[in-house]
Amino acid sequence: MRAIATLAAVLSLGAAAHELGGPVMDFVPPPPGSYVLQAIQRAPAGRVVDAFGRTAPLAAHVTGRITLLSFVYTYCTDPTGCPLAYEAFVTLRERIARDKSLAGRVRLVSLSFDPTNDSPEAMRAYGGKFATATDVPWHFLTTRSVGDLSPILDGFSLDVEVELDEKGRETRVISYLLKVFLIDRRGVVREIYTTAFLLPDMMMNDIRTLALEEGARP
Amino acid sequence: MKIASYARCAAAFAVSAAFAMPALADETCNSPYMARLIKGQEDYLHVWTLGMKGVGDESDKLVTVDANPKSSTFGKVIHSLSVGGRGEAHHMGFTDDRKYLWAGRLDDSKIFVFDVGTNPAKPKLVKTITDLAKKTGYVGPHTFYAMPGRMLVQGLSNTKDHGGVTGLATYNNKGEFVAKHDMPTAEVGGVKGDGYGYDIAINPAKNALLTSSFTGWNNYMMDMGKLIQDQEAMKRFGNTMVLWDLKAMKPQKIFSVPGAPLEIRWSLNPGDNWAVTASALTSKLWVVRPDGKGEWQAKEVATIGDPSKIPLPVDISITADGKGLWVNTFMDGKTRYFDFTNPDAPKQTYEKVTGSQVNMISQSWDGKRVYITSSLLANWDKKGADDQQFLALYHWDGKELAEQWRIDFYKEKLGRAHHMKFTAKPQKSAAADAPAKLALRQ
Repeated sequence: MRAIATLAAVLSLGAAAHELGGPVMDFVPPPPGSYVLQAIQRAPAGRVVDAFGRTAPLAAHVTGRITLLSFVYTYCTDPTGCPLAYEAFVTLRERIARDKSLAGRVRLVSLSFDPTNDSPEAMRAYGGKFATATDVPWHFLTTRSVGDLSPILDGFSLDVEVELDEKGRETRVISYLLKVFLIDRRGVVREIYTTAFLLPDMMMNDIRTLALEEGARP
Repeated sequence: MKIASYARCAAAFAVSAAFAMPALADETCNSPYMARLIKGQEDYLHVWTLGMKGVGDESDKLVTVDANPKSSTFGKVIHSLSVGGRGEAHHMGFTDDRKYLWAGRLDDSKIFVFDVGTNPAKPKLVKTITDLAKKTGYVGPHTFYAMPGRMLVQGLSNTKDHGGVTGLATYNNKGEFVAKHDMPTAEVGGVKGDGYGYDIAINPAKNALLTSSFTGWNNYMMDMGKLIQDQEAMKRFGNTMVLWDLKAMKPQKIFSVPGAPLEIRWSLNPGDNWAVTASALTSKLWVVRPDGKGEWQAKEVATIGDPSKIPLPVDISITADGKGLWVNTFMDGKTRYFDFTNPDAPKQTYEKVTGSQVNMISQSWDGKRVYITSSLLANWDKKGADDQQFLALYHWDGKELAEQWRIDFYKEKLGRAHHMKFTAKPQKSAAADAPAKLALRQ
């Protein structure tokens, strides 16, 4: 029940974001395959922990498939922040699942900014039914420490603040800019979305463009 | 990475007020992809300044001025960071997270990356990018426009003939080259491209990137007096604007806009669908917007001053509500205000001489503060007593510009004052202002 409540709460916040004037799409996106997504940078190396407590390199979660990666807090409440990204991911997940040409080729990843509070258990609860879905894998990840998280954030050029507790221990990082990364199966970042461009129609075309690049069936 | 003190609150993304969502603050000329917009009073003004032989250390530099009226050093230069050499310092642009300023030089094509986010009172030079010409064949990085995780850089010239044919370069936020896109020289939409570039302005809701056109190194590095006597050189100015499909980075339409259209500004008023530019040599205002059939068009909408006297409109600044536009005219030193209530027929309603020569103009979000600087290009600036170099703050009450202070960049031994950008002191952690946690975890 808590997982459902979590999803409902997050999605309602995402919907609220659109009511507040979320991203607007007043154009017809160019068709998949009609453009090239630039190779912006390589996804950085790092060590993460999945929702079942298993440690693995970040590379295991961002290579081998087309990946959409978002950074989250399980308790994020800004409706135009992670709930908006979560809602976009839920929408995309459904569309990807329906697209046979993308079967087995795409995954979603949500990685927490808060190693202290967002334990593997918290991430599993946050992910709810999606954490165990097999049709379109959605990995809910955290890290063991800010020390493990920092090189990943630096690698993605994310400007964050490290928060300290009263004893000076690093607890979590605070971010000021929502970014979602589209990464190809080689682990190269090919598109970055901030709020103004978190448009599922456009993102689906980008995913399909990468799939076509790999030689998928149109 | 900064360290913040402990706060017992829910964290939240302080998400940028992106363009497609109503913009909420800061200068009106910034990329819509930027975060950490300044709401209210700016604390600092950074001025990218050209070094001058015989003036101070003679080096190009980033000058920081205290812009907060509550500060004891309000209106004073509080920091200066010289980068060495003189390479025709010109314009700057923030990264998407507003932490870094990328500042370019039009002669040697170097790009200096300053950290202005960690301590805006004391910027630090963290990187110098020197591979633009080698990677792209472009010269003269002019506009720096933030994209998510990237910087779009508009060139002015090229390595082959130093003429105006050029292109757009993309770098990632680490300063690594990503891609290049030549300005079009073929016909698109019935108009032939001239291949020239100048400014960049994006409307994400329309997937629209607009560019304008100026001139190449041969002209912008030439002495102004010599240039205007050279009939052949005077033919080599841009006469187009290009509308690009932003996602595909493909020109969709080219507009004929004669006389070197320069700065481009989209109206930030929610629901507006137009952008404005001023053509320097023909002294006109142009608006780009879809017509009744949804086809993008460029239309001349107003005349600036007396074109026969070549007032030379340069920088423009649009108000946050899209209802007004400041236009500086370099040659007569005037700062002009146009009423843009009807963008199809704007009217000049005010003007004031604010210097012997004026170029850049930046306004606060509420429009009450207007900053002006003097320099256009080292070889185009006036000579002798008319070569005033300054940064001035004016207050605008809707009727009159009232000067509050002026910094003489010669007296301060700094150089030629050019592009300006605002910063503010690092804000409190977003967590301190976040709404209460939802009961997501029990």
